[in-house]
Amino acid sequence: MTAPLEAAEPAAAQAAGPADDHRPARRGLLRYALTKAGGALLSIAMVIVATFFLFRLLPGDPVRNLAQGRNMTPDQLDLERRRLGLDKPLVDQFFDFVGQTLRLDLGTSYEYKRPVLELIGQRLGPTLLLAGVGLVIAVSLGLWQGTRAGWRPGSRFDRFSTATSLLLWSVPTFWLGLLLLMVFGAWLKIFPSRGIESVDAPDGFGYVLDVAWHMVLPCLTLVGVVYAQYLLVMRSSLLDEVGQDYINVARAKGLRDDDLRRRHAVPNALLPTVTLVFMRIGFVVGGAVTVETVFSWPGLGKLFYDAISVPDFTLMQGTFMLITVAVIIMNTLADVVYHVLDPRVRSA
Amino acid sequence: MRKWLARLAALGVALLVVSQGQVALAQDPAAGKKVIRVGATQAVDSMNPFLAVRLVSSQIHRQMYSFLTIPDHKTLQPSPDLAESWSSSEDGLTWTFKIRETKWSDGTPVTAEDAAWTFNKVMTDDAAKTANGPAAENFESVTANGQELVIKLKEPQASMLENPIPIVPKHIWEKVDNIADFSGDEYPAVGSGPYIAVEHKKDQYVKLKANPDYWRGAPKIDELQVVFYDNPAASIIGLKNGEIDLIGRLNPPDYQSLAGDPNIVQWNQQGRRAAYLQLNHGATTTDGKEVGDGHPALKDQKVRQALHYAIDKDKLVAEVQNDLAKPAHGSIVPPMYTDFFWEATGDTKVTYDPAKANQILDEAGYKKGPDGVRTMPDGDRKLEFRFSIHTDTPIEDKLAEYLAGFFKEIGVTLTTKKLESSKFTEETGVTGLFDIAISGWSVNPDPEEVLATHLCSRRPTPSGEGGGTESFYCDDTYEKLYQEQLKELDRGKRADLIKQMQERLYTDAPVIAIYYPNDLEGYRKDRVASITSVPEQDGILYGASSFWPFYSLEAVESSATAEEGGSNTGVIVGVVGAVLILGAGAFFLSRRRKSVADDRE
Repeated sequence: MTAPLEAAEPAAAQAAGPADDHRPARRGLLRYALTKAGGALLSIAMVIVATFFLFRLLPGDPVRNLAQGRNMTPDQLDLERRRLGLDKPLVDQFFDFVGQTLRLDLGTSYEYKRPVLELIGQRLGPTLLLAGVGLVIAVSLGLWQGTRAGWRPGSRFDRFSTATSLLLWSVPTFWLGLLLLMVFGAWLKIFPSRGIESVDAPDGFGYVLDVAWHMVLPCLTLVGVVYAQYLLVMRSSLLDEVGQDYINVARAKGLRDDDLRRRHAVPNALLPTVTLVFMRIGFVVGGAVTVETVFSWPGLGKLFYDAISVPDFTLMQGTFMLITVAVIIMNTLADVVYHVLDPRVRSA
Repeated sequence: MRKWLARLAALGVALLVVSQGQVALAQDPAAGKKVIRVGATQAVDSMNPFLAVRLVSSQIHRQMYSFLTIPDHKTLQPSPDLAESWSSSEDGLTWTFKIRETKWSDGTPVTAEDAAWTFNKVMTDDAAKTANGPAAENFESVTANGQELVIKLKEPQASMLENPIPIVPKHIWEKVDNIADFSGDEYPAVGSGPYIAVEHKKDQYVKLKANPDYWRGAPKIDELQVVFYDNPAASIIGLKNGEIDLIGRLNPPDYQSLAGDPNIVQWNQQGRRAAYLQLNHGATTTDGKEVGDGHPALKDQKVRQALHYAIDKDKLVAEVQNDLAKPAHGSIVPPMYTDFFWEATGDTKVTYDPAKANQILDEAGYKKGPDGVRTMPDGDRKLEFRFSIHTDTPIEDKLAEYLAGFFKEIGVTLTTKKLESSKFTEETGVTGLFDIAISGWSVNPDPEEVLATHLCSRRPTPSGEGGGTESFYCDDTYEKLYQEQLKELDRGKRADLIKQMQERLYTDAPVIAIYYPNDLEGYRKDRVASITSVPEQDGILYGASSFWPFYSLEAVESSATAEEGGSNTGVIVGVVGAVLILGAGAFFLSRRRKSVADDRE
C-alpha cells in the first residue's frame, strides 16, 4: 500500500545528486541519527497528547456500555464513574493522564480491571511471535519471488507469481482465514480452530511443536495477504535496475547471470524494500486484528479492538501508544539504516 | 535459489510433521480422565467474582462458588444452596438463613461468617460493588452467629431469594488488601461449588477440576474446561472437529450449520430472552426535561398501538428467525418463566391486522398524503420513522426490511439507521436520538431487574449520564406496581402484580415485544453422554442461571474410536501433502540445475 510512496524516495534522493561523499561519514551519521531521534521524540510527545483527545471523541459511555444487559442502578453507575475518574472535567483527566504516562504508568483497564502494562505484557509475546514469523516469511517469500519475477519480466514465473500474490492481496483477510479454517479445520481436521496452544498442551519440546501447529493457519493467512507488497516493490525496483548501463557493462564483462543479479542488481534494488520492511516491523507490535480474531489468537491487536468497543480509554491509550511508538522508532531506524546503506541519501 | 527451495520444502515438511505429531497429541487430551470441553465466544474478564461482569465469567464462578439460594433446576423457584433453610420476619425486613455445615475445598468449614464477610464487602467496598452491587444495595446490615446469618433490609424485598452474589471464603479473601487490584488468579481457587478452578490461561481457557467433597456429591466427570473463542464461526468448526464438546448461545445460521453432523445434537429450546422494539414515546431525563429528536407522532399511544397491529410476528419468526423463536403475544418476560409470564388474551390481544391499524390512524387524524404516506393531524410532518439497529448484526437488517414492508401497508415510512454498538447504546439509552430501536433483554428466573429497566429513575440524569433505561419509560401505574411487587412476599400475589406491569407495557406500548428467540446450542453425543438443562423440561444448558447443567454432565466412557478416525485422516492428508511438497521441491531443484547449466553454456 505504501509501496509507491516509498519507491519514490530513492528516486528523489538520486535527483538531488551526489554532493560530497568525502565528508567524515561517521560524524555526519551521528548528527543525522540524533536529529532523527529528536524528531521521533517530538512525534511521540504529540502522539501522547493526540491519543487522549482522539479517543475521547469516540461515542459511548464506558460505564454504561460495561453495564449493558446487567442489573445496574443509577447510583451504582455514578459510583463506577467516580471510581474511574470519569466524573472529573476533561482537562483534569488529561493532566492526570499526562502525569501518569510520564511516570510510565498506563493506568488500569476499565474492563479487565488490571494494569494496562500487565495486559500488554501478556499479549505482546503471542503478537510478536505470530506477526514476527509472518513478517519474516512474507518478506522472504516476497523478495525471492519479486527478484525472480523482476529479473525476467513477462516470464511464466513472473506472470504466475504476480497474479497469485495480487489475487491473495485483494482477498479480505477474514475471508481467507475462514476459508483456511473450513478446509484445514473442519474438513481435513488437521489444524486446530483456535488459540495459541492446546488446552492440555504437553511440556517441553512438545509445547513448542504444539504452538507451531497452532500457528500454521494464522501465519498462512497473514503471509498470504501481505507478501504481495514485498514482491511488487522488489519486482519493480529490480525492473528499474535491469535496463541500467552498469548491468549491461557487467554482463558484457562476462559475469554469470546469477552473480550479476545477486551482486549488482539486487543490492541496488533493495533500498525501497528496506524502508518497507522497517515500517512493517513497527506495525508488527500492533499485531493483526483480523487474523487474531479469526483464530482467537491472544494478541495485542485483538486487545485493542476489544478496548475500542467499550470504549476502554486507558487500555486504548496504552495499546495505541505502544503501537505508535514502535512505528515511530522503526521509521527512525529505517531512516538511519537508509543513510548507512545508500550514500546518495547522505547528501540529501 | 536452490537453497531457498530446499528451505521452503524443509519448512513445509517440518510443518506437516509437526501437524501429525500434534494431531495425535491433541486428540488424546488427558488419557483416562473424563474431560468435557465447553466452548465460549467470549474470554473471562476477571477471575475475581467481585469484579467480573462477563457472562462467561459468571458461568465459571457459578461452578466454583455457592450462593445463598439458587433457582431449582426443575421448577426455577428459589431452593436451598449454601443456605439450608431460611425465614423472614413479619414485616419482611429481617431474614435469617441457616448456613449448611460443609467445607471449603481446602477443608476449612463453611460458616455464616463467610457469607456475612462477602455481603459486607459488597456493601462497604466500592470496588467490590462492580459485579453485583445492586444486589446488596437494600441491605441495612448483615451479621453472623455460628451457622446463622441475619440480613436486615432497608425496605422489604421479594427477590431476596435470588441473590446473585457468590459467597467466597473469608479466610482467603480477607487477606486481599485491595479488591480492585486483585485478579483472583490464584490456583487452586478455594470455593464450595461443584468444581475447583485449577488453571486460567488469559484469553485461552479455564480448567476446573471436580470438587470431590462437594456436598451434593462430586460431579461425574473429572475435569470441566471452558475454552474461549473470539470468532463464533471458528467455535462451530471446533465443535465439528471435536476440539470442544458443547457450545451454547448460537445464532440461527450457526445453529443450522450443525445440521447433518451425526455426532452433534442440536439443542433448540425456549430461551430466556425477549426481543422487542423500543419506541421513542417522548424521551425525558430524570427531571422530566425532553431529550433527543424522537418523532412527535410516537408520543401518541394510538400510533404505537397501530404499529403493533401492523406487525406480522408469525412472519418475522418464520422468515427472520428461521422458525427458531416464538412469536411474542406477551411483553418483556419470556414464556419460559411460567410463573411470571403474562400473555395477552381477549380484547387486549393485538394480532396482525393492517386494516385495523389503518383504521386507528385514520380515526386519530393521521391522513394519507398523495404519496400514500400519512402526516401528523396538523399536516406538519410525515410519519417517517427511523429504525436504529446495530451495524454488525445481519439478522437485524433483515428485520428492518420486513418491518419497513409492514409499516408501508399503513402509510408509515421506516428507514434504517445502522449504528456501531456503543453509539447505539448512547443514542437509544441516553441522548434519545431515535424513533424506533431494536432492543431485548435476557431475563433471570426472578424478573425484577428487567422490570426495573423501565422505571423513571433509570432515565438519564439532567447532566446527561445514562441510568440504564431500556425505554425512557416513566409511568405512574407501572411505578406503583413495581413498588408493590417489591414488598409482596407471597409468590402468587407478586406474580399477579408483575403480570399487571407487563400488561401495562403491552397496552401503553413504549416497547413492543416481537418474539422470544430460542436457546440454540449444540453438543457432541460421542463425548457428552447426558446433560440436564435448567429448567429440566425444555431448558437451557450454557447460560442458565444455575450450575446444574455442568454439574449433571456425564461423559461418554470410551471415545477412542471417534478420535482414531480424525487421526487417520490427518496422517493420510499429511503424507500426501509431504509427498506433494517434496515432489514440487525436487522438480524445481532439477529445473533450477538445468537452467543454471544452460546459463553456464
